[in-house]
Amino acid sequence: MESIFEKLWRLGPAALVLKAIVAAIVANGLLLGFILLRRTYRKWYFAKRDARVFALRQDWDRLISGEIPYETWRQKSFDRRIVESIALDALEAAGAAESARLLKFLRESGLIEKRIFEARTLTGWRRMRALVALGQTRALEGISAMAEGLRDHDPEIRLAALRGLGRTASPQAAEEILAWVGERGLSVPAMPLQNALIQCCAERPQLLIPCVQHAEGPLREVLGRVLGEVATASLSLDLLQFVGDDLDELRAAAARAMSHAERGLAFDVLSELVGDPIWFVRLRAIISLGELSEPRAIPDLMRGLTDSNRLVRLRAAEALVKLKTEMAPIFQQVIATQDRYGLQAYLTALENASLRGKLEEELLACTAGNNAEKTRLWKILRTGVLLAEETVLAEFDPAKSAFLS
Amino acid sequence: MIRLLEISNHTLFWYYLASNLAYLTMLIVALKTSAAHQRSLKSHRLSWLKESPLAPPITIIAPAHNEEKSIRVAVRNLLELDYPQLEVIVVNDGSEDHTLDEMREEFRLRPVRAVYIPQAESAPVRGLYRSEVNASLLVVDKESGGSKADAVNAGLNAATSPYVCIVDADSVLERDALLRIMFPIMADPKRVVAVGGIIRVLNGSEIEGGHLRRVRLPRKSLEVIQVIEYLRAFLIGREAWGQGNMLTIISGAFGVFRTDLVRSIGGYRSRAIGEDFDLVARLHRHLLGKGVDYHIHFVPDPMCWTEVPSDLKSLGRQRARWQKGLLDVLWPNRDMLFRPRYGRIGCFAFPYLWLFELFAPVVEIAGIVTIVLAACLGVLSREFFLQFLIFGYAFATVISIGSVLQEEITYKRYNDWQDVIRLVSYCFLEHFPYRQLHMIWRLRGLWEYLRGDVEWKPLKRKGLESAQVP
Repeated sequence: MESIFEKLWRLGPAALVLKAIVAAIVANGLLLGFILLRRTYRKWYFAKRDARVFALRQDWDRLISGEIPYETWRQKSFDRRIVESIALDALEAAGAAESARLLKFLRESGLIEKRIFEARTLTGWRRMRALVALGQTRALEGISAMAEGLRDHDPEIRLAALRGLGRTASPQAAEEILAWVGERGLSVPAMPLQNALIQCCAERPQLLIPCVQHAEGPLREVLGRVLGEVATASLSLDLLQFVGDDLDELRAAAARAMSHAERGLAFDVLSELVGDPIWFVRLRAIISLGELSEPRAIPDLMRGLTDSNRLVRLRAAEALVKLKTEMAPIFQQVIATQDRYGLQAYLTALENASLRGKLEEELLACTAGNNAEKTRLWKILRTGVLLAEETVLAEFDPAKSAFLS
Repeated sequence: MIRLLEISNHTLFWYYLASNLAYLTMLIVALKTSAAHQRSLKSHRLSWLKESPLAPPITIIAPAHNEEKSIRVAVRNLLELDYPQLEVIVVNDGSEDHTLDEMREEFRLRPVRAVYIPQAESAPVRGLYRSEVNASLLVVDKESGGSKADAVNAGLNAATSPYVCIVDADSVLERDALLRIMFPIMADPKRVVAVGGIIRVLNGSEIEGGHLRRVRLPRKSLEVIQVIEYLRAFLIGREAWGQGNMLTIISGAFGVFRTDLVRSIGGYRSRAIGEDFDLVARLHRHLLGKGVDYHIHFVPDPMCWTEVPSDLKSLGRQRARWQKGLLDVLWPNRDMLFRPRYGRIGCFAFPYLWLFELFAPVVEIAGIVTIVLAACLGVLSREFFLQFLIFGYAFATVISIGSVLQEEITYKRYNDWQDVIRLVSYCFLEHFPYRQLHMIWRLRGLWEYLRGDVEWKPLKRKGLESAQVP
């Protein structure tokens, strides 16, 4: 007997369309069925989970103290998952004492051991889940299992291991990650690696230095960025080697880190970096100089104020405004640059910090200098226009003076 | 004549098949991509990013024209977004109502002398104001330039961050939308130059204090159909194009760009009809011309909710304008077609837009005419025509239901059963007569453009206050 498909073929050119119709209708049915079943299942699952979470929450203290034998819930995977997720969520927000209590519970109930086992032996999404959960426990005994995950051939597993290690926020995890990137290079996207390293290196940023020295290419950039974020004063001498580095990111990192360094050293280094050919290195240097908040930085900040890059100018102006020193002499220096972009940046920063009134008072109270000079400064402050420009503007209009062409 | 009709009918058949197959391919790519995106999201914790030192400063530019009723809520919504270093610039684009006064009162604005460098073309600025309540708010008051592009350019000239986020003042951004849209930039700051977010339909949903309280499907059929269109366009189309670095449009309602790049190409083209599409096309041209290795991303989860037209007249006008905008960009960039220098954009994305977007109304309307003619002349195989009609209908429905499925398995914003059932029902109902109307609107757009009628006409909108929960 002829099959339905043979009949369809015999229909000639129309058969293609007919088959396509059948396929499209079947596809529609499948899609609809999937949506329907998925919704129904989720509704049932969440209702069941919600009821169980409520029940377990009622006995939470007895449960984690071991008063309720662990065996009563450990045997049931549904209950075990709920207990674990409640404990891990609590751990995220817990203080030192509560963390210790929860960690003790996780250890004694065997949940950590179970996760270590799963992270080592399972495959696919189950292993990923185990790796992340293990990281959430912040238990140091789980680090080696997560480090094994870093060396997996599956990039998703590697990412999960990285997430897990990042969540431990411990130097031991940082050592594992750095050893791994040293061996394999950048084999995961930069963002998760940066996040994990920032978390883990915060306590001991010096771990990064040898790795940055030996790394190459994009990995070096990533490590440089992390170093810039986590560097502390104790690293200032180590960071000096990167001031003249070929890699822009590293010079920027050094500039950023210098805000934590010993002041004398920082000024010399940052003065050099303010003249860097790359704008974001100069930007970092100016921000760091601003954070030092020292009048000694004024000449370099003035240089930043006349920079070719708008962001550098704005940040330099903000730093100048925030200096805890007399404002009138600084304003005088700003005018002396004869840079109208710089002047506008300074006035913007002044307005944003609501310090315009303070400068006006200082100018009024200023006894040094002659009256003509005071009038000139006052006029420039009011109009925002350098005197040389005045002839260009036919009439005074404070709003117009903001628009530079 | 008869031979001609036969050729025309066959062309229509193959055209329709190719267009649907292209969409099917995009659906498959999009399903795969969003699964990967969902997984990658697990690598990040928004709470970390919220305080991350790696998050670059960003300036939101929100042009506002006669928005007195909703401007307070809209600006408050922008200021409350989760992001570590945020500046908000609202551009009052020559409003004839009390938009500026409303802001003045709510945010205690005072005139300032902020840096404004007119690198991008814009109408004259009347004044700059900063809020005393929140120093990160700057208001640019300018004369009307007659276009959104002109207003955005003014914001661009005052922006002080390395990235700008362009939004519509009457749209509602989810609180973590900025953090989400910045993921690709933070992950690869050297290559990623722009990121587009997803636009969803606000009509029908409830808003409280500028934030979305409950997502509901709109009541009107016309609005529900637009929900499906948006899902299809964003969750399938843009997701797939973005995956291949061939995104040619970042919606003007929500997109992030590298400030220096946008400035270097002169900002938005003030006279562009589809200014958002035009900007991305010029970015591609600029970067590909220079041989730069770059990426323009689409991220499907930072959500921006916007009001869509709720009457046929406004919708028709909007769609006609989109079609004009398409031609307005494709025609000047026709030299990019099939030029190896312009890579995938010139070889795939633009040819697709010419063939399946720009010519679609012409081909479809011509197809309908020839089918009718063929039927009148008795040369139409009724059986084949019927089969083709059923196939076209069923296939198009697969794509629409696919986009609903995509929404279901990823973001699942429509939680009510009732909403999902309605959404699925409209996947079957949108084809008659909405699709035909849509074609006519688009055809009208082309006709108006060719006649030189490119004037921007405002759409009728209810505004944010309509969705406000009392």
